[in-house]
Amino acid sequence: MSATLPDVTESLPAEVIALLNSEDGAAFEQALDSMVRQREQHLFRALGLLARDLHGAVRRLGGELTFEGVPDSMADARKHLVEVLDMSAKAAHRSLDFAERMRPEADALSGNAAEVLDFTTSKTDPAAVLARQALAFAERCCEGLDDMVMAQSWQDLSGQRIKKVVVFIESVETSLLELVRLTGSLANREAPVMAVKVSSQDDADRLLSEFGF
Amino acid sequence: MKILVVDDFSTMRRIVRNLLVELGFSNPLIQEADDGDNALALLRASAFDMVVTDWNMPNMTGIELLRAIRAEPKWKGLPVLMVTAENNREQIIAAAQAGVNGYIVKPFTAITLREKLEKIFERLAASGASA
Repeated sequence: MSATLPDVTESLPAEVIALLNSEDGAAFEQALDSMVRQREQHLFRALGLLARDLHGAVRRLGGELTFEGVPDSMADARKHLVEVLDMSAKAAHRSLDFAERMRPEADALSGNAAEVLDFTTSKTDPAAVLARQALAFAERCCEGLDDMVMAQSWQDLSGQRIKKVVVFIESVETSLLELVRLTGSLANREAPVMAVKVSSQDDADRLLSEFGF
Repeated sequence: MKILVVDDFSTMRRIVRNLLVELGFSNPLIQEADDGDNALALLRASAFDMVVTDWNMPNMTGIELLRAIRAEPKWKGLPVLMVTAENNREQIIAAAQAGVNGYIVKPFTAITLREKLEKIFERLAASGASA
């Protein structure tokens, strides 16, 4: 059976191979313990540094937001976006007003020109020449108004995106408030009791120093 | 023909209404709703011949409105035209499976609207004739 197992001893450090071959069971256990502890300490230190960095970052953010005011700055951002939405809707409606006002004018011009052309279609009569120009202009005018109306539908498309951003800001606002509340309570030592209990300030200091604080 | 235009943006409702009027539909017979909920309330209050609806709306979206319409036996044959900025495959398939009659991607022209409406009425006439 042992023949099927890969030989891992070659890749192990000499001191481990020596330990594996040692007859002294107690020494083996002790060496193994110390190796595992060393590894754990590296891991705990790294986790401690990470936790300290995160804590610091959140506190800084909390401080800045408290200074600026989370509800104020976030609500302002949302308010501004809603204002943009309203303004763009107003602008679009004004353009639509214009299009609605101009279309009958263009139609009337077209009708009047057609009436003139009922009397004369002469190529040299200035009235007929002007009537033909007026007809062509009225037609181009209507096409332009159609394009303008279609362009106003972008207000709806851009507005939908703005609405999505408003909802997103709301969710960020809620999360940030929760984060600030949590770190605020941690800073005020109102955090929920930790699962690991320490009996004295010395124990606490030792534990914190082990974690790199 | 009585038409219900459903969109949460007043700009879009106005544009769709104007285009429909331009295509010859009667302005006073066009009604508007700003979401699916209000659309359903209007549909329950009186009979409509067609619904033109947006997809993205608060409270009740266009696809939910479409499903609610198809779930009601008396509205089974009510033509529903979806007018939306959503043009991804999944959403178009979802609308088709829910029983939409036409699908227009915004922004669109009066010509596109006329083409889609003509197709809807052609199909309805064909299915009515074969039924």
